[in-house]
Amino acid sequence: MIPRWITWAYLLYLAAPIALLFTGSFGELWLNTLLPTGFTGKWYREVAADPSFRRAFSASLFVAAMTSAACILAGLPLAYAVFHTRDRRIRAVVRVLYQLPVALPALVLAFGFILVFSSDTLPWLGSIWLLIAGHVVIGLPYFLQTVVADMQRLGLGVLEEAAESLGSSAPQRFFHIVLPALRHSILSGLIIVAALSAGEFQFSNLVAGFLNRTYPVVLLQAFYGATGFACAATVILLALALAASVTGALGARGAARLGPAARLGPASRLGPASRLGPAGRAR
Amino acid sequence: MNPTPAVRLDGASFAYPGGKAGVFDISLDIAPGELVACIGPSGCGKTTLLKVIAGFLPCAAGSVHLGGEDVTTTSVRARQCGIVFQSYALFPHMRVWENIAYPLRVRAVAPAERRRRADAMMEMVGLAGFGERLPAELSGGQQQRVALARALVFEPRALLLDEPLSALDAATRVAMRDEIRRIQKRQNIAALLITHDQDEALSLADRIAVLRDGRLVQVARPTEIYDRPADAFVAAFVGRANLIDGRVVADGMVDTPLGRIATPPHGQPAGAQVRLLVRPEKLRPADATTGENVFMATILRNRFYGASREVELAVGQGVLVMETAVRDGIIRVHIPRDAVQFLPLT
Repeated sequence: MIPRWITWAYLLYLAAPIALLFTGSFGELWLNTLLPTGFTGKWYREVAADPSFRRAFSASLFVAAMTSAACILAGLPLAYAVFHTRDRRIRAVVRVLYQLPVALPALVLAFGFILVFSSDTLPWLGSIWLLIAGHVVIGLPYFLQTVVADMQRLGLGVLEEAAESLGSSAPQRFFHIVLPALRHSILSGLIIVAALSAGEFQFSNLVAGFLNRTYPVVLLQAFYGATGFACAATVILLALALAASVTGALGARGAARLGPAARLGPASRLGPASRLGPAGRAR
Repeated sequence: MNPTPAVRLDGASFAYPGGKAGVFDISLDIAPGELVACIGPSGCGKTTLLKVIAGFLPCAAGSVHLGGEDVTTTSVRARQCGIVFQSYALFPHMRVWENIAYPLRVRAVAPAERRRRADAMMEMVGLAGFGERLPAELSGGQQQRVALARALVFEPRALLLDEPLSALDAATRVAMRDEIRRIQKRQNIAALLITHDQDEALSLADRIAVLRDGRLVQVARPTEIYDRPADAFVAAFVGRANLIDGRVVADGMVDTPLGRIATPPHGQPAGAQVRLLVRPEKLRPADATTGENVFMATILRNRFYGASREVELAVGQGVLVMETAVRDGIIRVHIPRDAVQFLPLT
């Protein structure tokens, strides 16, 4: 058994920087003392009034939202394909893909992007869509990993076979079975993707254009100024990451809800079962 | 005239790519209300056969008819087979009644009617009052009942059961066995039960189909399968069997490693190789020191099962398995002449 105090010490170690940031963001003056003195909301007002921070904030929200959307649009079919493939080579490639974001520094990815997209044939460096594409590369493996693991845990293949034998068409199977059964993992996959995107610095710092710098990139400059301002800006990033996660979560829930509500029409070839025989026979 | 069989397989075949695995030239009829158990060792093609009937696997040759209609090239959905999967395959996000009503939902039955028919099914399978639960909140036996209700609610043309009892504990298994039988009879539906459990097949089925390496070896009533197995494989797979190879000395007399055994008349010429079958419960401990088919025996192993015991005996140069209620020591064993059957050699 791990002594309880180690748990508490570790929690304190985790929480202390955040608590200090929080305190600092409301402190009037913080020079050579353990804690700041005075209480003020002016740092938040200053950050809120700063045009470059305002622009970065909305850029970050947009990038996180688009990255999440791309991950669900590209990731779900991909996860589905990965889950159903029997080809060993594809499985091997996918395993490598899973590990890639861990092994490959975002810095390397950024240099790759700069090399490719600063050429005359593909002169897209600085575009916000390129930034989003990079975030998708970083986030997608985590999304795939989460969703494919859930498919395996559920035995989705058998569930689909069962639904098919019960008369369910392919679109019905997707909206009635696949999507709602996976809603929890889609949700947590999107939370990871949105939080990664909102907090991503390494890649964004190199690839983002001047007009669509994301919040973490702009935040770096805050540390050359007043401590309170930097603290307030960082707390806002924290809130931003949280907001991105919640947005991702709500988006996924909406997608899952869409399923049962979607009216796909009757399975045309089967006709109503009530016509097959007297319904009361089961009694 | 026989009524139209609910399920008819006529030379149905499917081979997995590359290998010899698959099912080959399967011909089998299942009448409405009949339960046929398909039994065989693992890898013999039982589940493949089920998938061919359900339409998950295509028929490479031969045909599949359901209710008189040729469905060989029909999609899984349109075949309308109710399937109970080994893992039950309940939809984890749907409540019990929603699971059962799902086939009605995809057939666009009105919601109130769905609910009513799901309730009726739940009552029939003994799950009244469990409608609002999620599958994860049910025991294995209850999940099994949901799977059965869901497979029957849309009045399918056949019920296919893929090892439905293998995930249950022993006590629940026996109870569910009777339950499946009761419900299947009541719905008067043709059923194919895939199993590797001979007790299940013998006690549940109207007929048993023994499958080996993708081919049907014998299809017959349980008593006939047990009493007159087609070959040594069936004899050994369904029930326990003493298989004794020997050479005919004269009509009704065979030399075996156990000694010379008197048999019913068989018409084989002297010198012919034969294979004999004696069921373990037919053997008797002998009191007389001499007599027809009485042999000296030494006990090799003794398994006590309560009501009876199974004894392995060394007799001559061979081994016999005997099932007996006698608890005394055994010195001699008697093989009743009419308990000896002849099986084909291959």
